[in-house]
Amino acid sequence: MFFAELPSFGQTILQALSLEPSIYATVQRHPSGFWVALAVVFLAGLSEALGQSVVLFINQIRPKRFAITLLISATSHLFGYALWAFIVWFIGVRIFGHSQSFLMTASAVGLAYAPRLAAFFVLTPFLGNGFSLLLSLWSLLAIVVAVSAGLDMPMWQAVATSGLGWFAVQTWQRTLGRPIYAMRNRIEKRAAGRPLQFTLKDVARIRRPHSALWTQWPEQLEPPSGGKARGAIPPSGYARKETPNG
Amino acid sequence: MVDTLLNVLWFLGIFFVGILIWAALSPFETMGWWAGWFGDTIYEEPVPSDGLLRRVHSDTTSYVLFLSGVGRTSSETLSHRERVFLEHLAHVAAKTVIIDDVFPYSVNNLSLTAQPIFARFWRRALQWKQHGPRFAGNLINLRNIFQILISIDKRYGPMYNQGVAEVLFHGLLRYDYRPECEMPVFLVASSGAAQIAVGAAPYLKELVNAPVYVVSVGGVFGSDPGLLDIDHIYHLYGSKDAAVRWSNLDAGRWPISASSTWNRAKRQGKVSEVCLGAMCHSGRGSYLDFRAKTATGQPYVEKTAQTVSAVIDKAIALRTSLEPSTVGGEITEAQI
Repeated sequence: MFFAELPSFGQTILQALSLEPSIYATVQRHPSGFWVALAVVFLAGLSEALGQSVVLFINQIRPKRFAITLLISATSHLFGYALWAFIVWFIGVRIFGHSQSFLMTASAVGLAYAPRLAAFFVLTPFLGNGFSLLLSLWSLLAIVVAVSAGLDMPMWQAVATSGLGWFAVQTWQRTLGRPIYAMRNRIEKRAAGRPLQFTLKDVARIRRPHSALWTQWPEQLEPPSGGKARGAIPPSGYARKETPNG
Repeated sequence: MVDTLLNVLWFLGIFFVGILIWAALSPFETMGWWAGWFGDTIYEEPVPSDGLLRRVHSDTTSYVLFLSGVGRTSSETLSHRERVFLEHLAHVAAKTVIIDDVFPYSVNNLSLTAQPIFARFWRRALQWKQHGPRFAGNLINLRNIFQILISIDKRYGPMYNQGVAEVLFHGLLRYDYRPECEMPVFLVASSGAAQIAVGAAPYLKELVNAPVYVVSVGGVFGSDPGLLDIDHIYHLYGSKDAAVRWSNLDAGRWPISASSTWNRAKRQGKVSEVCLGAMCHSGRGSYLDFRAKTATGQPYVEKTAQTVSAVIDKAIALRTSLEPSTVGGEITEAQI
């Protein structure tokens, strides 16, 4: 059997990022193509987890726990990918009547995760939201190109398959898949080692304890006529405070 | 020829991606500090008083914390223009304690040249800045600009600004500030440091329990949520300063964004904008230039210092007057 030669890992990713249809076809025909796709999905998951890691910092997670949580998040990404690949394969084969093995479809779909390797750019201060939008569009185009090349179907069928696939994944997440996602969240919270009680919305109204100030300047910080010292802010954990303007 | 052009483009592409990666990773310093990874220490690098600056007076009426532009690497300024400006300010605002040895581009006052891993790199960058190549020296400016972007970002801003507020409070305590005296604090900030000032001011206000004002000297800042909590913001600008228009990168600064904090603060009378004349942002003809002169023969730096001093006097006078709600208001050339 003839296998088209697979370029280096870096070149494969660059071609996938430039939405080159031939690389998606090549990766699904090459024996190691699936593993390359799996590596891309895992690294993309890691990058995405890093991009969303602000919440972990807000909740003061320790460095070792932080690394474990990232790894768990990246691994759980693989399950999401498997579901996505299966739905695309199912629609392609059952609705549009294409004959393609699941593994080959999964290889092309996996490589389509390449734009998400840049997901950690969402962390860029002030410009992060712009990156997020750009990445979403890029990923959408990549999945359409991958489905078209991977299942050898015309572009309109690829768009329909991707759209139906997205709809199916959303439905799954909100119905039958809920217990599974809840379990994943439980595992992530356990790995974090402390309750992840604060979200991004809370960051404006929480206060970090100022332990250094209170130990260095106790006499200045003591109120003039008794009462409660400023140092009463708990030495660990958070002092909560509502923002003055809601 | 085409190959050379492609090589140059490839190099520029790599450089650009490198800068983007650096920008994306820059919030980890703030987030790591917030999570307690780097401890709670607020680092100190006090600069001895020269008799004018950093001197506590017996009849002190207010405190000024000067937050310098993006060129700094530590709590000590290396800019001759900044020093001249502060000395002028110390002369005209004689009852004000002027503190300039804080490094607002770090959540714990840790200077770049004392960082545990990158100290050597920043020392080298500082050498580049002072002796060339100047382009490489701009790495310091770029790093500090990332901190400004962190300050304005809704995700990191509350963390970063709390850290800086603690650093500023620590600076005040080092110069005998007594929180129970409720003495007004003025954050005088130039260029991008104005964003850090408006971000940190509300948190500083919680710590000092006294009025906190921001005086922006050609400042670039966004529509920060903290603007409404500041007692008043005085924005001094020059008609030739193109950099202040960078503030418009934040849509909240546009007049059309009626519900933005900037426009709400303006409607509430918390903002005074004062034109200093035909001054530009930096270098010759800038706010701190001691060679360029106004039509009346007054050096620019002197006019800037006098205006800042007038702002301080006005704010204190209005605060002590019977109608505290009128603190602020418009400052006109005639009043200065």
